[in-house]
Amino acid sequence: MNIALLSLEQTPPLSVPLRFFLTAPLFGLLASLLLLYDGPHLLMNRWYPSTLALTHLITLGFITMVMFGAMLQLLPVLAGSPVPRPIFVSSTLHILLTLGTLSLASGFITGWAWMMVSALILLGLSFFGFIGIVAYCLVNVKGRSPTMTGMRFALGALVINAMLGIILGMLFVGVVLPLPMVLTNLHLTWGLIGWIGLLIISIAYQVVPMFQITPQYPSYLTPWLVPLVFFILFLWTPLDILVHLNQLPATVSQLLIGFIGLGLSIFALVTLNLQAHRLRSIPDVTLNYWRVGMIGLLFSIILWGVGVFWSDLAMKPFYPVLLGVIFIVGFVLPVIQGMLYKIVPFLVWLHLQNQQLEITKVISMVKIPNMKQVIPDKFARRQFWVYIMALGLTISAVLWPAGLSDVAGIVLACSFLFLGYNLYKGLWLYRSVSWQIAAAKGKKSDF
Amino acid sequence: MKHYTLARKLYKYYLKKIVFFAHTIDNLFMETITQTLTNEHSHCDQLFAQAEEKVVKKQWELATTGFTNFRAAMEQHFTKEEQVLFPSFEERTGQTAGPTAVMRMEHQQMRQVFDEMQKALTEQDSEEYLGFSETLLVLMQQHNVKEQQMLYPMTDQVLSQEVASILNQMDQVGKNV
Repeated sequence: MNIALLSLEQTPPLSVPLRFFLTAPLFGLLASLLLLYDGPHLLMNRWYPSTLALTHLITLGFITMVMFGAMLQLLPVLAGSPVPRPIFVSSTLHILLTLGTLSLASGFITGWAWMMVSALILLGLSFFGFIGIVAYCLVNVKGRSPTMTGMRFALGALVINAMLGIILGMLFVGVVLPLPMVLTNLHLTWGLIGWIGLLIISIAYQVVPMFQITPQYPSYLTPWLVPLVFFILFLWTPLDILVHLNQLPATVSQLLIGFIGLGLSIFALVTLNLQAHRLRSIPDVTLNYWRVGMIGLLFSIILWGVGVFWSDLAMKPFYPVLLGVIFIVGFVLPVIQGMLYKIVPFLVWLHLQNQQLEITKVISMVKIPNMKQVIPDKFARRQFWVYIMALGLTISAVLWPAGLSDVAGIVLACSFLFLGYNLYKGLWLYRSVSWQIAAAKGKKSDF
Repeated sequence: MKHYTLARKLYKYYLKKIVFFAHTIDNLFMETITQTLTNEHSHCDQLFAQAEEKVVKKQWELATTGFTNFRAAMEQHFTKEEQVLFPSFEERTGQTAGPTAVMRMEHQQMRQVFDEMQKALTEQDSEEYLGFSETLLVLMQQHNVKEQQMLYPMTDQVLSQEVASILNQMDQVGKNV
C-alpha cells in the first residue's frame, strides 16, 4: 500500500462544492418557471420540446450539478484521493455545465441548431472532463469499499449516458422530433437508473448509517447490488434495441427491467428498515427527505409494473410523464435535498473551524456557529413541507394539466426558492464569521 | 511469448487472490486493530445517541451522566490511538506529518466540540447542545470512516507482526485513562 498517496487532510476549498450546490436551486427555479409558463402542454406529452427542456433543467441543472459538487467533495474525504488543482477544475466544470445546460434547454425550446451544437460541445467537455478527473482519482483509491466500487459503476453509466445524449443531440440538430424512440429510452434509462440511481445507492451505503447511527447495510447486499444492476442494464441495452426492431418479444426487455426494479426495491426497503432501527431518536429533516425518496422510488417501480400488465394505461401519453415525475421529483430530488441539509452546514462549520485553528490566542477566539445555527431546523422543516406540497401538486398536475399545472409551477418554484434561501443564508453566515476571524487574526499582532 | 505473459498474469492474479483469501481466513481467527477499534467506534456511537436522547427529553441529570460516559469513552479511545497506535505507525513508516497528524488534529477538533456540548449541558440549553451534537456526529463519522477504511487496515498491514502486542498495550493505556 502506498502511504504517500494517502492524505487524510484533503478537504477541498469551500468554493469547490458550494458553487455547484448554490447553482442547483436556481436551475430548479428556472424549471418551475418553465412549468408555469408552458404548463398544460408540457405535462401531456414527453416529446414536447418544453418537456425535454424542463427534464434537462432538472436532471442536469439540479441533479447532476449537485452530484458533481458532491463527488468533488467526497472523493478526497472518503477515499483519500485529492482532486488535482481543485479550484481550477471545479470552476471550469461548473461553468461548462451551467452554460451547457442553459443552451441545451434553449436549444430544445427554440429548435435553433447552433444552440444545440454549442450545448453539445459545452456539455460534452464538462462531462468528459468530470469523468476524466474522477476516474483519475478513483484509480488512486486504495480502499475497496462498496461505495467506491459503486461510484466506479455509476461513472461508467455516466460515460454511456453522455455518449447516448450526444448522439441524440446530433440527431436532434439534423432530424425533426420525435427522436428515435429506442435511443431516447436507452438514454433516459442509463441516466436515471445508471448514473443517478447507482450513485445514490453507493453514497447511501456510506451516509445513511452515518447520519442516523443505523446498523450498516447488510454485507450480503452491498458488494453486488450496484454491479448487478449495471450488468443487467448492459445486457438489456442490445436486447431492447432488438425488441424495437421486432426481433424479440417485448417481454425480454421488460423482464430485465423488472429485475432492476426488484434490485432497487430491495435497496429502498432495506434503507427504510435501517432507518427504522436507528439509534438516534431526534426528528431530522434529512431523514424525512430520505424516507419520502425511498417511498417515491417504490411508487415509481410499482407504477412501472402496473404499466407492464395494463397496456392501456402504458399507452396513455401522460403515463411516461407520470413515471418520470415520480422517479425524479419523488425519489431523486428529496434524497438530494436531504443530503444538502447535512453537507452544506457541516462544510460551513468545518471551514470556519479550520480558520479558527490558526488563531493561537484564546482571547481572540470567535464563536463558530454550529450546524443548526448555519441552517436552522425550523427553516429546513418548513421548506420540506413546501416541497411536499409541490410534489403532490406536480403529480396531480400530470393527471389534470389544465387545472393544476400553474399552481404546481408556483409551489415548485417556492420550494426551490426556499431551498436556495436556506443555502444562501448559510453562505452569508459563513462570510460574516469568516470576516470576524480574519479581523481577530489581524488583532493578534497587536497583542 | 504472448501466452507466457498471459499465463504469468493469470498466475499472479490467482496468487493474489489466494493470498487475500488466506489473509481473510487468518483475520477470522486473529484479533485485528481494525476490528477492535471499529467496535469501539460503534460503542461510542451508542453512548452518543443515549446522551442525545436524554437531552431531547430534557432529563438533565441522566443527560449529564450520559454525556460524561460518552466523553470518557471517546477520550479513552483517543488516548489509545494517540499514545500507542499512532506512535507505532509513525515509527514504522517514518511519517509523522502524514495521516496520523490529520487524525490527531481531528481529535483536537472533536475535543473543542465536547467543550461546547459540556457548556450547553451545564446551561441546560438543549437547542445549543443539539446543534453541537449534530456537528460532532458528522465530524466524528467522517473521521471514523477515514480510520476504518484507510488508517486501521494500513496499520494492520504495516504492523502485522506486532498487532497482538499493540492491542495489549492499548488495553493497558485504556485502563489508566
